[in-house]
Amino acid sequence: MKNRKKATPWLYSLPAFLLIGIVIVFPILYTAYISLTNMNLYHWNDFHLIGLENYKRALLKADSGFLSAIGTTLLWTAVNMGVQLFLAYFIALGLNAEGLKLKRVYKTLLMFPWAMPAYVSILLWKVCMFNSEFGLLNKVVTALGGTKLNYLSENVPAFLACTVLNLWMALPFMIMMIDGALQSIDASLYESAMMEGAGFWQKSIFITLPCIRPIIAPSAIMTAFTTFKQFDIIYLLTKQKGSLTGASIQTIITYAHENAFVSNNYGLSSAVSILIFGIIILFSVFTNRGLKEENS
Amino acid sequence: MKREICKILCGCMIAGLMAGCGEEPKEKQTDSSVKKEASEVKTADKKESAGETNIKIWHDGDESIMDTMEKDVNEMLEEEGIRVSFEKKAALTDQLKLYGTDEVNGPDMYFYAHDSLGMLAEMGILAPLSDILDTASLNGDLNEMTLEAVTYKDTQYMVPVYFETLLFLYNKGLWEGDVPDSTDELYAYMETHTDTEAGTYGVLNQHSTAYNVAPFINGFGGCIIDKEGNPGLNLPETIEAVAYNQKFAALQADGDYNTVTTLFNEGKASAIIGGPWLLSGIKDAGIDLGMKSLSEFTLPNGKALAPYSGVQGVGVLKHSAGAKKDAVEKVLSALASEKVGVDLVVNNNCASANEKVYHNSDVAANEMVLTMKKTADTAEPMPNIPQMSVMWGPAEGFLAAVNKSNEDVSQAAEDFQKEAVTAISDIQ
Repeated sequence: MKNRKKATPWLYSLPAFLLIGIVIVFPILYTAYISLTNMNLYHWNDFHLIGLENYKRALLKADSGFLSAIGTTLLWTAVNMGVQLFLAYFIALGLNAEGLKLKRVYKTLLMFPWAMPAYVSILLWKVCMFNSEFGLLNKVVTALGGTKLNYLSENVPAFLACTVLNLWMALPFMIMMIDGALQSIDASLYESAMMEGAGFWQKSIFITLPCIRPIIAPSAIMTAFTTFKQFDIIYLLTKQKGSLTGASIQTIITYAHENAFVSNNYGLSSAVSILIFGIIILFSVFTNRGLKEENS
Repeated sequence: MKREICKILCGCMIAGLMAGCGEEPKEKQTDSSVKKEASEVKTADKKESAGETNIKIWHDGDESIMDTMEKDVNEMLEEEGIRVSFEKKAALTDQLKLYGTDEVNGPDMYFYAHDSLGMLAEMGILAPLSDILDTASLNGDLNEMTLEAVTYKDTQYMVPVYFETLLFLYNKGLWEGDVPDSTDELYAYMETHTDTEAGTYGVLNQHSTAYNVAPFINGFGGCIIDKEGNPGLNLPETIEAVAYNQKFAALQADGDYNTVTTLFNEGKASAIIGGPWLLSGIKDAGIDLGMKSLSEFTLPNGKALAPYSGVQGVGVLKHSAGAKKDAVEKVLSALASEKVGVDLVVNNNCASANEKVYHNSDVAANEMVLTMKKTADTAEPMPNIPQMSVMWGPAEGFLAAVNKSNEDVSQAAEDFQKEAVTAISDIQ
């Protein structure tokens, strides 16, 4: 009877476990299996196990750029998250300012970049903003008497261009989260603070930020993950096949794509994928631990 | 009662999950998403049982070109009881990797550019043509360059049908004087007819796209990759060609495909180096178009520009070479025929691989096709070895580093040569 009671919840959960197993666990395990084989162009149907050879090759690649790709990815994530949180906070404060008219219109307009498909946004920015002949930026520069610039041909300007575009696409979500969090703060806290003579910065530091932190922390972590594994912006702006811009920015995902996935070497590509998967799991463990400590 | 219902629901969900794993008999396939396809298959099956053989050819090209071939071949083979259908598949090589050995869901043949031939042959999914027909009699009328393109490791795997090369296309309304015969004169023309700040250009080219710079690299005697699969980015001849191209690039906008074609179609450039695929856009823009073969331009070393040629042809999947050998043989012969070649020229401006076609009066009046035919004299087929698939990245990285980031040519050549060597070793 006791055993039956124990088994019942598992039985009810079985379909969900099966679904998760088929959709999530099986592909990961199969990728791990392929990573241990020599499946490539020359061994398409007759591949066999070769141990950790692919991992050795993938890690040896660290000498030729994998580590710098990790560095760029961390920089990319830190810069984007920092600027994003800073800007989103002040824009959300502005949207919540007393007496601001047409608030809803502004909020709706701010949602557009987030609602647009990323592929469309990126190519629109590439052609309409950054293109040296037809882009708005160069139209303004030449109208002011300057010479045309190529914004995507060197690493630093290209990194900044990618950051600006990422902020344009990602800010609406963060603004929406902070906006919602701001509205949950009890107004009496501000009234008491004002009576004590607190200014804008004191109210922000001692009331607003501590109050909204628990609400925005999960969305900040989610956004950090999205930013960490960002591929589309950097690839489509600077590395699109047939229209390379000259910049050589590599995050770990673009690096993996360039070095493993175009080679038709599925064993090696799978090994690189599993390594990236491991890095993301580690990243996730650390952030979750941080979140737990903060909550406790 | 609740518990029983829960158990039944759990059972139903598990059964539902597993339902997809089952294999239904063909006659019961009623999936709504593939309803049309299924009905076509059923019709085909019925006909097949009535003595008609169906040949399915996958392609990733222009539908109108495939329509021309499908119509011609079906007319020619009607009495033989053979019916050919062309089906468009995006990312065809990826599809062939998945379905290349699948006799039921995969194609019998495929129609594609020759440069992925080595990759597919190494995967072991293609049948050598000699297993199906007498290649000597089939090849009699076919152009040498196109035959070289469809041969991998001394084995012919495809029947070449038509080919494409880059051309010098100019706007007769904007071009001043005669079109020069040397690249140095062309550069002199560009210098006097380009104002980058005003956005007007003499001659445009995708200066950082390997396919578009190949005429210079090949003409100088360099290469992107040699026939043995060794990358040639740091060869002195390649470096010389890229350095020579660099000064042209400075007068050719950013070299992006969309930018250069838009500038030409908007009348902001007198000429462009491009392929026949630009023609419809140019026609729509109402430009009075003139053209010249790239092989008519000489480089400072006295040799002609030597663009890559892309040969479009048809290959046979191994399983069809056994099961439908006779039908496949007839389809291959029909696709290589003069009739298909002439119709492709007349209807689609495609330069046929069949030499006999060029004796036809309608073909002789087609300037674009004749210009491409002329270019075939110096054109080199794109390498069809598997290593080529990973060379585009390093080659274009090299060109972009030189033309867009102003890196030193020799240093960039060494850097990207190393990248190319690594990419090639990664294939194996």
